[in-house]
Amino acid sequence: MARRFATRVTVSGTTFVRELDGILEYRLNTNGLQILLTQDPNAPVAGFMVTYHVGSRNEAIGYTGATHLLEHLMFKGSKNFNKENKKTIWEILETKGALVNATTWNDRTNYFEVMPKEHLGTAITLEADRMRHAHIREEDRQSEMTVVRNEFERGENNPMEALDKQIWALAYEAHPYHHSTIGWRSDIEKVPIARLKQFYDDFYWPDNATVSIVGGFDVKEALAMIVKEFGKHSKKKGDYLAMYTEEPNQEGERRATVARAGNTDLVGIAHKVPAAVHSDIPALIILALILADGKTSRLYRTLVDSALAIDVSTNCYQFHDPSLLITYATLASRTPHQKIEELVKDAYRAIALKGVSSTELNRAKRSIRTYIASLRDGPYAFLSALNEQIAAGDWTRFVTFPKKLVQVSAKDVQRVARQYLIDDQSTVGWFKALPQI
Amino acid sequence: MKKQTYGAQAFSIVEGGKLLVAPTSAKDVVAVEGSVLGGSNHLPKRWDVIPSLSAELLDAGTNKKKKGVIRGALADRGISLSFSAGGDRTFFSGQCLPEDLPFLLSTIAECLGGAHFPEAEVKAAKARALGSIAELKTDTNMQARIALSRILYDTAHPNFSRTLEEEETSIRSSTRRNLLDFRHKFCRDGLVLAVTGDVNAGTVRKAAEKAFGKLPAKGFAPLAKQLNKKPSASAEKLIPIPDKANVDVLLGAALPLHKSDPLFYPAYLLAEMLGGGFASHLMMTIRERDGLTYGVYATLRGFDGATDGYLRIWATFSPEKYTESVAALRKEVRTFFSTSITEKALLKKKEEITGSYLVGLSTARGLARILHQFTIDGRDLAFLAEYPDYIRAVSLAHVRAAAKLVPLHKLSFAASGTFPKI
Repeated sequence: MARRFATRVTVSGTTFVRELDGILEYRLNTNGLQILLTQDPNAPVAGFMVTYHVGSRNEAIGYTGATHLLEHLMFKGSKNFNKENKKTIWEILETKGALVNATTWNDRTNYFEVMPKEHLGTAITLEADRMRHAHIREEDRQSEMTVVRNEFERGENNPMEALDKQIWALAYEAHPYHHSTIGWRSDIEKVPIARLKQFYDDFYWPDNATVSIVGGFDVKEALAMIVKEFGKHSKKKGDYLAMYTEEPNQEGERRATVARAGNTDLVGIAHKVPAAVHSDIPALIILALILADGKTSRLYRTLVDSALAIDVSTNCYQFHDPSLLITYATLASRTPHQKIEELVKDAYRAIALKGVSSTELNRAKRSIRTYIASLRDGPYAFLSALNEQIAAGDWTRFVTFPKKLVQVSAKDVQRVARQYLIDDQSTVGWFKALPQI
Repeated sequence: MKKQTYGAQAFSIVEGGKLLVAPTSAKDVVAVEGSVLGGSNHLPKRWDVIPSLSAELLDAGTNKKKKGVIRGALADRGISLSFSAGGDRTFFSGQCLPEDLPFLLSTIAECLGGAHFPEAEVKAAKARALGSIAELKTDTNMQARIALSRILYDTAHPNFSRTLEEEETSIRSSTRRNLLDFRHKFCRDGLVLAVTGDVNAGTVRKAAEKAFGKLPAKGFAPLAKQLNKKPSASAEKLIPIPDKANVDVLLGAALPLHKSDPLFYPAYLLAEMLGGGFASHLMMTIRERDGLTYGVYATLRGFDGATDGYLRIWATFSPEKYTESVAALRKEVRTFFSTSITEKALLKKKEEITGSYLVGLSTARGLARILHQFTIDGRDLAFLAEYPDYIRAVSLAHVRAAAKLVPLHKLSFAASGTFPKI
């Protein structure tokens, strides 16, 4: 994906919006569908992704997990692609070698195909069809509910996932980041099909979606195909339901414990951070890398090199709304939770008080440069990364964000550590292994 | 017509090593995949933890450089590097910017040739390994996998797993000397190195020759072929673990087959038709039709180097539907073998695999992995282009011959989780 060719063309029915670093943006005139194209004419493979601007942040009590369950039902067939006419997505795309799947997260839902390029037209036609003509049926909900419930159960088998759910649920009491994308078990089991259909009709429209194509394809042909297939749909009549709930200010540290039979002990420490587009996020990303990226990071050396923990990670989430910076440590046998919690907080305080070295700053920037280069290695990595920026609210961050990371100074890192890593804004979780009976 | 080899070139390097280089259009991305001979199958069973402890500590200090110097220099350049251990080989995987490739290759070679495993690092690695073992004791998937391997294989076979308690004993008694003795046998004979991405073949070759030429000429040797001595039996093993929301279920059978056997690819297609991808028989029935699982998969496993492997069917089930689900799984496996191995199903699967092969080659990392894997399987560079033809050439008769290797009425069974009270 090195040489991206910005071959801007004019295709009736579309409006060219802009070009940025080889990514062409268009709009479909009739319904407002956003289109992002990045061409590599010599590539034998193309990737196609539809990103709907709806995720679990658009759910509420009673239908948590609805976005994800609906994502599953979207594979049950649509008007022109279904079991009855033997044209399921598996039959017409997976059996041609396409990587076919979908993912749901807090702020978005995506559907994608990465395939030999001659099948791109099929993917466009199918995705356009299920955008407005998906079969959302009770008989499919019944069989798919148990599939999703088993996905939930798999997650519950994992101590880290169980603790993570508790930390988010405690850190957010009002905002829907409170619940995980997969939802609460009882909602998965009981959400009525009418609610899922309503969810589909509320959010699955062209003016609430972005289609992206990366790899080997002809820009003019692809745009014409998009006009033909997605142009069949009108834009939504009426406004989209706004998610207006804001998380109230946190007034003091919060603590959670998950105690289950087993041998795994974990500590998780979360702090509130601003939304992805906020100007402090680049410094927070660098801070997270200095804390726990690689074997030279502060927490790895303190916790893992010393064998107090088996592993450690720090992640600064970049979501549409304010979210969390979280450190997780898996404890070695006999290490007390309290000790790990204190050492992590000591590491935070050290940066807040004394800052970081130029060596640490440069390593973090070099690491992220390598990582960002890898995001353009192949259609799926590219689409996936672009999709997260779409979800955060501004796809151009895919191009501009790396430049902002380069500009982060040691003082910026110290400032954000002081501003955000404060106990009053923290949520601490312990997973405690209970003796097996 | 000229066959597509994706711009890859193969070189013999450092007397016994093989280098594969494939420049791609990826900018600023260099992917490295490689390995040297030396894995758990080269050691007595009781020492099978040594290769993984060694792999963890290869970058923790060498005869010339301390841990902090090695790791710091890699971090200064934004290089990621990891080592891991397998049955016959010790693997390395890295990523760097183009200008740092010579440094990455020289660091890999220095670690392989000079790691000296300081006592304090060995002690810490053992403590971490014991912690990981403790975690695995309540991992339902791992427990079922260990149980199945013990049912299928004789105790001397490489695919026979020891218990986690036995592993703990081995970790505790491992010494720095064990690690040094193992590492001293890494050599350039059998080295395989694949480098792809934003690279130039001439530059890579020069850097690889310089770096790996310092490894000893001889050491670990390829292992002789093995065959399982344990007869098939429809044995069952349940491993209860409290407080688990999901049960991991495995069905399997040892196959009298090696990777170099003509029936290997037919057996691979058979497994893929049974449980590879959403369109496979088991996913279409157990998940799509019955809604009993999030995932059910059939794969060929345990075909490391010269080892005869096995067919493994893995599914996850809800405890409350456990009995019904296991019965459905067994029934659908039988149905597949009796009615679903058809010309039409085979044609579809062949088209899927040849298409997905192309998709897999579309990243520098994917291309490096495939180049490395084909080479350690004993294939030459031409196989990169010929692989789709190999798949297309598999006939229904071949697949049915492979199916006869599966002792359908003697499939073994292992499951772990919180079981319903019956």
